[in-house]
Amino acid sequence: MEGWRVIPLRVDDPFYSMAIDEAILKLNSEGRSPNTLRFWRWQPSTVSLGYFQSLEREVDLLAAAKYGVAVVRRLSGGGAVFHDHDGELTYSVVCRQEDLPRDIMESFRVICGGLIKGFERLGLEARFAPLNDVEVGGKKISGSAQTRKWGSVLQHGTILVDPDIRLMFELLKVSPEKISDKFIASVYERVTSLARELKKRPSFEEVRDAMCAGFADSLSASFEEGDLTSEEINLAEELKAKYASKEWLMKR
Amino acid sequence: MPYAEFKAPKGIIKVFVKLAEGVISQIQISGDFFMYPEEALDDLEQLLVGTNAERAELSKLIEQFYEQRQIQTPMLTPDCFVEAIMRAVRR
Repeated sequence: MEGWRVIPLRVDDPFYSMAIDEAILKLNSEGRSPNTLRFWRWQPSTVSLGYFQSLEREVDLLAAAKYGVAVVRRLSGGGAVFHDHDGELTYSVVCRQEDLPRDIMESFRVICGGLIKGFERLGLEARFAPLNDVEVGGKKISGSAQTRKWGSVLQHGTILVDPDIRLMFELLKVSPEKISDKFIASVYERVTSLARELKKRPSFEEVRDAMCAGFADSLSASFEEGDLTSEEINLAEELKAKYASKEWLMKR
Repeated sequence: MPYAEFKAPKGIIKVFVKLAEGVISQIQISGDFFMYPEEALDDLEQLLVGTNAERAELSKLIEQFYEQRQIQTPMLTPDCFVEAIMRAVRR
């Protein structure tokens, strides 16, 4: 595969981050943006909602307000995710549809392959857990979501560095009878993080570098560092209002 | 409004449905699944309004919709949606 761009680690507000994803996707589909890998963090911590999810069914808005956590609806389907500013790194891949398998599961497998190589570089043996997860020792350490539009693909997902699991379950609505110490314990059985597996917390830069090398390996791509273009920035500025709007958030 | 969930091996489908004399008059489908193309879920909801809330009829309609629109819902079948709707209907 020809040259990809990798964008230096960014920290942005959730609405702008979602808008950047869509801007790159749109411009990539028009041949105006290269295939791109981006790593970024959320400021403030945010719950992102899958495109098809119901806001009131999934998110405890009082808890979100109490903890100053933002809520945004994604362009991609899948489940609600808590993006902890201090404990989570997000990646986005944008590329042409023809650079990936047509089959959705296979395309998840290819992109998650980059993460798996990245986890290997950090010293962990990880595997793809269809449809959209990566696991270490049978526990989820990364979850992804994918949208396809205009002939291009956007896949973004979470890399759990050291998230606050208890806060996550205060924010996400789980049937009330399920929330108990026993339930939280069962989550610890199913979800893990880099800090937990490595018994030390790696820096975001360390994780980013490992993942970047992992993607270069698995996609046989050469990466060149590059910033967002002014065209991307302008389009993202425009799209930001949609992601910040009540209409978009309350779509379902 | 009657509400039910159906948990598939991967993904949960959540349905609110309102009936008028056995016919769907309002429906909202949500969940943590993937559907391509994404706009199709709005169209499916519109298509379901005015349909008899019967399994065979829903099944036929949703399968046709999948075929005509080339819908992909990885790890979910049209029948998962039928099951979720029928559960809400029975409430």
